Amino acid sequence: MNTDASPMPAAPDSGAAAAQEHTQPRVALVIGSGSVKCAAAIGIQRALARAGIGLDMVVGCSGGAIYASLMAAGHPPEESAEITQRLWTREITQRRNRRALLQALAPRWMKFRVEQFGLRDDRILMTRLEEAFGAARIEDMAIPLHITATDFANGEMVVLSSGRVTDGIRASAALPFAFSPWKVDGRLLVDGFLSDPMPVSVAVKHGASVIVAVGFESPYQESLTSAGRFAFQLSSIMSNNLLKSRFAFQSLAHHSEVLAVMPAVKQRIRLFDTAKVPYIIEEGERAAQEQMPYLKQLLARNAPASLEA
Amino acid sequence: MNIDIHQGEQVTVVRITGSVDSLTAETLIQAFSGQVGSARILLVADFSGVEYTSSAGLRALLASLKDARGLGGDLRLAAVRPTVHRVLELSGFTSILKIFDDVPSAVASYAGAGGAAGAGR
Repeated sequence: MNTDASPMPAAPDSGAAAAQEHTQPRVALVIGSGSVKCAAAIGIQRALARAGIGLDMVVGCSGGAIYASLMAAGHPPEESAEITQRLWTREITQRRNRRALLQALAPRWMKFRVEQFGLRDDRILMTRLEEAFGAARIEDMAIPLHITATDFANGEMVVLSSGRVTDGIRASAALPFAFSPWKVDGRLLVDGFLSDPMPVSVAVKHGASVIVAVGFESPYQESLTSAGRFAFQLSSIMSNNLLKSRFAFQSLAHHSEVLAVMPAVKQRIRLFDTAKVPYIIEEGERAAQEQMPYLKQLLARNAPASLEA
Repeated sequence: MNIDIHQGEQVTVVRITGSVDSLTAETLIQAFSGQVGSARILLVADFSGVEYTSSAGLRALLASLKDARGLGGDLRLAAVRPTVHRVLELSGFTSILKIFDDVPSAVASYAGAGGAAGAGR
């Protein structure tokens, strides 16, 4: 449970409370990268709520950072779905960043600057994020929230557990070439998927013993008709291999129980297919529902009542 | 989870029904180690009845696989459902385990296994 929000127990009970704290499973939801497909997390949220399972922390990466933040802020599933459909529209990437394009073509003449290099103008994206989260801070969320990004200087995963939510999401979703890197606390950050597309390790590190993890493989291009598609194809190949190798390591290296929820999203989902959000949510809910009996058993095994016996 | 063990001439088929997870992992490990301890190291896990596997289940599979291979045998999977196959794929298990469409194919894959692999009863 969230110990930060709990009052300190009285001295005589402190041993039992500590034992319970130690034994009580800490449940985390990890939402990996996957753009609009991450809306499946809303379906998982629904299934968890219906089963009466609360979350002790939420971890989000890239597109998943949006849904993790909405959940952590306390938005119920229906509200999250509505906000998604309002925010995540094609306009976000419609405006080109001509300066960045010129900088790419003539780096010396145009004085190439890495912190400005993104082929899409991010002003609409930032406005939308401000609309949804305002000045909210990660450390003030109702459910502890961790957002991951990648340090552009050395490739390390950076976990943002404090600071403005909008900065966290912007950095976590700084899709290479599309959006420029984002500076947080003096570090230039890029999309979280570059260091770990489904950062289960963050939940492990923060003490989660039961981790529900949802992630998606990046889609491969149907046709390679441009340099942009060529770059996306390379990115998908690398990130999908990274997803598998990281998940394999996290599954085998720790004693935390990791339940991979893999929604069977069979329809082709493009970057801004927000019309398909209800379908995606449904698939997420269906995939999560399959695991609810086991999850309930697992949590009941370590419930406080069993400690008293 | 239910486990049925069928000992063939050389190959042992372990039919698993239910989920392979932290509540059942120990039972699974014991079932396999019982076979390996009796020098029955050519193992086939019939996964047709497995609905789900979590990370604890993956760890149990890996431990059993290492035990069997350590003695010159193997653990091969058969009839894995698509949902379970996706987890195995995501976790890299499809690159280290041999997986077959059905139990007869998995059993037949051991044909000609000699040496230590043939030491079973």
